[in-house]
Amino acid sequence: MSNVRPSHYGREMRVAWAIAAKDMRTYYTKPPSLMFGILFPFSLFLSFSIGRNMPLTTQIPILISQTLFFASSSIGPVVIPMERANQTFDRFLTSPVSLLSILAGKTLAGIIYGAGVSVIPVLVGIAFFGSQIVNIGAMIACFALSSLAFSALGIMFASIPGQTLGQVMMPLNFVRIPLLFISGVFAPIGELPTWMQAVSMLSPLTHTVELARYASGAETFFGPVLNITILSAYAAVFLFMGIRFHLMNQRKE
Amino acid sequence: MNTENAIEVSNLTKRYGDILAVDHINFEVKKGEVFGFLGPNGAGKTTTIRMLTGISIPTEGTATIMGYDIQSESVEAKEQMGIVPDVSNVYNELSAWDNLIFTGKLYDMSKTYREKRAEELLRMFGLLERCKEKVQGFSRGMKRRICIAMALMNRSHILFLDEPTSGLDVQSVLVIRDLIRKLNQQGLTVFLTTHNIEEASQMCDHVAIINHGRIAVIDTPERLKRTMENLQSVEVAFETVSPNMLKELKEFRDVSNVVKEGDKFRLITNDPTSVLTSTWNYAQKNNLKLITVNTLGPSLEDVFVKLTGIRPATEGERTEGKNYKRRLGG
Repeated sequence: MSNVRPSHYGREMRVAWAIAAKDMRTYYTKPPSLMFGILFPFSLFLSFSIGRNMPLTTQIPILISQTLFFASSSIGPVVIPMERANQTFDRFLTSPVSLLSILAGKTLAGIIYGAGVSVIPVLVGIAFFGSQIVNIGAMIACFALSSLAFSALGIMFASIPGQTLGQVMMPLNFVRIPLLFISGVFAPIGELPTWMQAVSMLSPLTHTVELARYASGAETFFGPVLNITILSAYAAVFLFMGIRFHLMNQRKE
Repeated sequence: MNTENAIEVSNLTKRYGDILAVDHINFEVKKGEVFGFLGPNGAGKTTTIRMLTGISIPTEGTATIMGYDIQSESVEAKEQMGIVPDVSNVYNELSAWDNLIFTGKLYDMSKTYREKRAEELLRMFGLLERCKEKVQGFSRGMKRRICIAMALMNRSHILFLDEPTSGLDVQSVLVIRDLIRKLNQQGLTVFLTTHNIEEASQMCDHVAIINHGRIAVIDTPERLKRTMENLQSVEVAFETVSPNMLKELKEFRDVSNVVKEGDKFRLITNDPTSVLTSTWNYAQKNNLKLITVNTLGPSLEDVFVKLTGIRPATEGERTEGKNYKRRLGG
């Protein structure tokens, strides 16, 4: 933001971290975080995978992608409406810190939650089902960029004025769930019609699935360079839009 | 900019669609004073405080806090202030100690300093012994005290208090009022919004009365009272009260209105001497025993009612009004 002076960067980062740490401590174990961030992706995965003749090593990248997607994008929409209802969000707005740093802290809490939950299927896959990570760089990029983009997506939706979880979560799920059907989760992108492949390219989740597959040594449709580029672009757009929308809220407030 | 002023407000305006919640208001608050901001529900008090503290962005106009513009120098302006909103917005999941420490982190205070300050404030507010307990089990008064302590963590120069004693028990109210007085004596500027006119009268150096988003008047409480000489009154109580008494008292010469207040009658007049004579004659004529006779100057409440045309709200109306205000977003 314009009011962040170079000498303030260190301070802004410390405050952003303090906000993230407080959110982690206060909200990670709240029932909505557990339900939308953990139960939801695991249940979806099980309902999709049980009974399908697909090796588990192929399914692990899908589970990783789904947990990254749902867990990272759930923290902002859980935390911010609760804080609005308790008026604790006003504490941040009246603190000597920029809106960018406030939202950076909130985004960081989503990143850590999403990445933390998604490490579980990676470890389980390696330990019990013979999964391999053949490209560690791709896996790190998948985790870092996806959790950032999806957490920022959640923060952007959390700008919807409202003091209840449903007011934010419902429109978010209206976007999140359809994305599952066009992102190569249920059907490989190569098997989709051409027009759907084009649509699929626009979904950020597609690129998370592809990067996770690539890191596991599987063939991918778009390739890691395009995956990383598009995920980076989405992260930037979601962050920018999130800040714009929250500023608009302050004007309407 | 006047360096003696802690707050300067110029043409501050807030519009919600077609509703003009705050209409080009102007005022100044001097350093070290307690400034009361009074008004009926929905008058624009909370909207003003939200703009002054950076929660809400004004539609028009400017406000400076200790010389810093709240819009263009928001970080510097916010460093100068502590805020106690109308609702105690503490983190219920955290302990009193952690609430204060987190506030210290938001102000980027060093670990040693924030721990020292937190301990000092918890001791000052009588909460040190329970500082490790989660706040959710605390009473409303205790949460209010934590909220004020959080606002004081950064040793701010200005304290914004939005209805600080609303809904609290008498003991908590007295503790908080006493604390505000002490902090003010130490040089802290206090911006206080309240429905409690008596509180404003007792505590404020200056008061502004806002109504329909506009400032109706700004002055010292005593000068405001003096401008309302026609609101003097005579308070009388008789040993026995007859059903027609209210009507008969209203017929006295020079009495503009009579209000029954419990077992007393308050006769509003601009000539208390004439009313005293009439009261004495009335008592003699009807063989009534006078048990109380007081002459009263106009109260700040009288000024408020006169200027806003609204009688002060009851506690129930205040709650209802706040809910209505939230629905409006005001």
